[in-house]
Amino acid sequence: MAERINFSATINGQKVGPMNLPQDLMMIELLQEYLNLTGTRLSCGQGVCSACRIIVDDPVRGSYTVPACVTGIAWLNGKSVRTIEGIAEQDDQGSPLPSAIQKAFLEHFSFQCSYCTPGFVNAATVLVEQLEGSPIPADKVEDAVLEALDAHICRCTGYVRYYQAVRDVILKTPGLTTENPAATERAS
Amino acid sequence: MPHTDITRRSFLAAAAALGVSAVVRPLKHAQAAMMPSPVGQDAGWFAGGRLRYRRDGMAKVTGSKVFAIDMRARDLEGWPDQQSYALTLHVPRADRVYLGLDLSVLEPDLAPDVLVDSDRLAKDGVAMPEADFYGDFFLKPGSVSPMLGQPVALGIWHDYERFRAARKKLQFNNDIFRFGDPADPPTRAPYGAARFVRIGGDDPRGTDRFSPMKDLVVWPDTDEKGVHWPGDDHPAFGEAMRHSAQIQAQMKNPPQGWRVFARDFRSQSVDPCAMEMENGLGWYQAGTGHLHVVGATQSPYAAAHHILEMMSASKMRLSNLDFVTGYTVGYGQKEHQSFPYYVAMAALYGDGRPVRLALDRWQHFQFGLKRHPFDIRTALAVDEDGHFQAMSCDMTGDGGGVMNFSPSVGTVAVTAAQSVYYLPKSDLSVQVLPSIGVTSGSMRGYGTLQSMSTTEMLVDEIATEMGIDAIELRRRNVIQSGMKNTQGAVPSGYLRIGEILDMAQQDPMWTERAARKVAYEAANPGMLYGLGFASVQKDFGTGAEAAVVQLEITRQGRLKMRHVAAEIGAGATTAQMLVTEPYLGRPADEVEFSVQHWPQMPLHTKDEPYTTAQEDENRLAQDPHWVPRFTSPRSASNSAYYFTHATQQAAQLLLRLALWPAALSIWGAGPAGGQMRPEPLRFEDAKWRDGMLVARSMEPLTMQRLAERAHADGNITGVCVHTFNRWAWAEADFDIDGRTFRAPIDALSVKWGDGADAAKKARMTDGGYAFQPRVKAYYPPVQRNNAGTVYYAPCATMVELGVATGSGKVTILSHKTWLECGTQIVPELVSGQMQGGIAMGIGHALYEELPTGPDGPGNGTWNYSRYHLPRASEVGVWTQTGHVLPALSGEDPPKGMAEVGMIPIVGACANAIAHATGHRFYHLPISATRIQEVL
Repeated sequence: MAERINFSATINGQKVGPMNLPQDLMMIELLQEYLNLTGTRLSCGQGVCSACRIIVDDPVRGSYTVPACVTGIAWLNGKSVRTIEGIAEQDDQGSPLPSAIQKAFLEHFSFQCSYCTPGFVNAATVLVEQLEGSPIPADKVEDAVLEALDAHICRCTGYVRYYQAVRDVILKTPGLTTENPAATERAS
Repeated sequence: MPHTDITRRSFLAAAAALGVSAVVRPLKHAQAAMMPSPVGQDAGWFAGGRLRYRRDGMAKVTGSKVFAIDMRARDLEGWPDQQSYALTLHVPRADRVYLGLDLSVLEPDLAPDVLVDSDRLAKDGVAMPEADFYGDFFLKPGSVSPMLGQPVALGIWHDYERFRAARKKLQFNNDIFRFGDPADPPTRAPYGAARFVRIGGDDPRGTDRFSPMKDLVVWPDTDEKGVHWPGDDHPAFGEAMRHSAQIQAQMKNPPQGWRVFARDFRSQSVDPCAMEMENGLGWYQAGTGHLHVVGATQSPYAAAHHILEMMSASKMRLSNLDFVTGYTVGYGQKEHQSFPYYVAMAALYGDGRPVRLALDRWQHFQFGLKRHPFDIRTALAVDEDGHFQAMSCDMTGDGGGVMNFSPSVGTVAVTAAQSVYYLPKSDLSVQVLPSIGVTSGSMRGYGTLQSMSTTEMLVDEIATEMGIDAIELRRRNVIQSGMKNTQGAVPSGYLRIGEILDMAQQDPMWTERAARKVAYEAANPGMLYGLGFASVQKDFGTGAEAAVVQLEITRQGRLKMRHVAAEIGAGATTAQMLVTEPYLGRPADEVEFSVQHWPQMPLHTKDEPYTTAQEDENRLAQDPHWVPRFTSPRSASNSAYYFTHATQQAAQLLLRLALWPAALSIWGAGPAGGQMRPEPLRFEDAKWRDGMLVARSMEPLTMQRLAERAHADGNITGVCVHTFNRWAWAEADFDIDGRTFRAPIDALSVKWGDGADAAKKARMTDGGYAFQPRVKAYYPPVQRNNAGTVYYAPCATMVELGVATGSGKVTILSHKTWLECGTQIVPELVSGQMQGGIAMGIGHALYEELPTGPDGPGNGTWNYSRYHLPRASEVGVWTQTGHVLPALSGEDPPKGMAEVGMIPIVGACANAIAHATGHRFYHLPISATRIQEVL
């Protein structure tokens, strides 16, 4: 049996721990088997497909994603993370208020089975947050979206509607681009 | 289709025979009250008369528990909070005698709490149902495995930490398997073989001289020595074999003016790569005999039925089976797969605890169903004018270790080899053989991707060889309305692939290809430009499609729907809700999908739609409660056409039988016939405008007002219909309240409103409805089974790409796809299916390949690190375009198109690479390595 550590973190804004856990536990195991947060989905288990990417909020570096299937809890000990369950807000009735990215994915019919959707939501959320601090020219948005999301595998949709949704959010959100976006709509 | 095609009725019959109370239900009904299913709770998906997003969208985009793999015991109503964890152990080789396990690596404290193997199952009388179709649970020590990846045992650990620690020691550790001497795997007979021969008449629209539809399909004998084709003197098949021999002779010695082009192709083994791996959760209560299973499957009734069969000889008591289905995704990978039985079996050994069994990706590659690889020899005879005169195609498929759907995949594959062409003569044969590879199943395309893609590659090469524009050659030979397919059946309706070819031929990408090649290569040194095109048409449906839909209107004017459709990701549940709108002015207000309990439709069936003799069916059909099949699984792109037909019929009948009489009652009220009297009103005048029923100059009526009147008058307020299609719709005559009519349904129940008289209320004993015995049924003749298909969705793709001369790497520059699918119910879902299919097709054309021998995925070492799935940067994500042909009319039915979009891109890529490099590739995928070898 593996050595154990005391693990604490902030997950979706809530303090978790200290928990005494195997040192070699992967973050996806903690989320799914200990915390019942199953929206972070296991697919390849080797950090290739990006279905399981979660957001790490670093006070210095800002937000970025890591694959929870190959990121150990030891590395995340003491850090603040967000999972898909922490992206949407809730209204007074407890109903979800989707983020701009989630709303765009809905309205663009971006996903079908949705197994990969949490990873796309997290990666796109981080891209938007990064652009809030470092806006880019509008004609570079498509390249930026491709660079940010290209590691994410989707087997259902062919990516187009995910990408169009993220592009639209960036182009329509004030402050994320440095110039008036050109009309880059393409038929699909 | 195989005998494993199980409906709810046969499932319940099996349960009753075993004395078991059994139910199949969707996940939302099983989730604990503290964690209710979020699907369907969100009302924002349809607002202001407009579809805003998928009905299940909010639950999915927020990461809610919707998949079976998301479930844990504590999420389920009435289950214990704690669960155990199971792990299957799969042998990585099939060339030595398996002697047993050596689990000493787990000593002293990680040994499984329970270990189940073949001996233990034998002692307990637990056996794999339909073992010829699914394979055995476990390999017996002392034998050679029929395939790599065959399970030999299952371990169960009662706590997660010991489970995960043990798993780490077992994963990739082949020393845990003890092997003896080298030996061959067991010899097995071919899984299936067939031959389709057609000799057309002088008129493509006239009578055939010989065809499967007019005459028969050749089904040869098979045994361990192989396929034994009948001789030309065979009493049944002799004529077909003589025609076959004549075609083959002409191919070898063509008549004057013919050229014969024959090529050998190979299409590879592919993993469907459903992102959700095989998984499930089971709980067995030995004291009560209750077995609960949460399964991830596209065929829940088959799974539940066969779990009953699994237990039929068991010493373990089974009194109640509760099979729960979550949302899942499979592309056919989870269609009639064996994994749900492993979950159920694991539950039996959980010592009273729920047991979770989920494969990781390496194991999923090792055991999940694959797309069949095929060796394909195709020959086309062409006359001097560029008209196809004859085709022969001989396909040999690799079915892997277990039969599964191999026989029908083979026949569907070879009958699709015709692609979009009319062929005066054709001789199409197929055999699917066993191997040590992982079992092949019914992956998206069902064999047609393999055959049609290679035909399109051959046609492109013929065009080059004959100096004919490749699209022009297609236009000269395209099948036109009324012409026959290679089975001798006339495809349904107006065939529009010709329109697509016309558009493609005029597209600037095509007309300017020479200039574009020059410009691209000048601007990109070291790159070769290629433009390729392919066109296909894909069948949809299975030849025995049945559905049930119930629609009723409440007194308050709310429209309630119950439907058999289940969601597998493609959006069927969203679409079906919208189908009512043209007929009833609005989508359904309330809906229940995946409905399996239908007391409103008291029917019975033998569920033998493919094998019942005509005289037997004629006799059976006289019983108004008999139907050939009750419901169909979600497969074969069947929802858009077949389920929509059922929904439309229910909506039309609700309008005709309920709302129109209510409207007449309102408009005709008052002395001398009211406002209606001066107008010659007919039912055909009924229209919906802004949610109101209008007709000529009559007062517009709200649904609420109509509903109130229908209820007050005691008229019909609900209908429940059953439909059946055998490459044509069954029809029946009905007599309801003195009104006689014929409709393309084969069973009907109705419900009368609150004001109905006592006599009518007394008749509503069928789940609150009154079954209306049909006066006469008109089923399509059983000979139509030989049609293979008559429903097609045509599609074509043009792709331009660059090939790096140094590395052989292919870069997709852009592509354009044309599709005809009748009326689009939800255009966004259609376009999403096209885009997703194209990406999957690019994977097949350029990247994805699994070895079929000892290095194949059954050895447990395959994952996405070495199996490349296309990324966005490889599918032309920003540059692709699509064009869907407008429907012919408002009544043009929607066509199943979830598979066809994947296919033409394969041939188009191959043809584009040939254009770029000047070299024809016959082995898919056309990887960078293969291109580099040539360059």
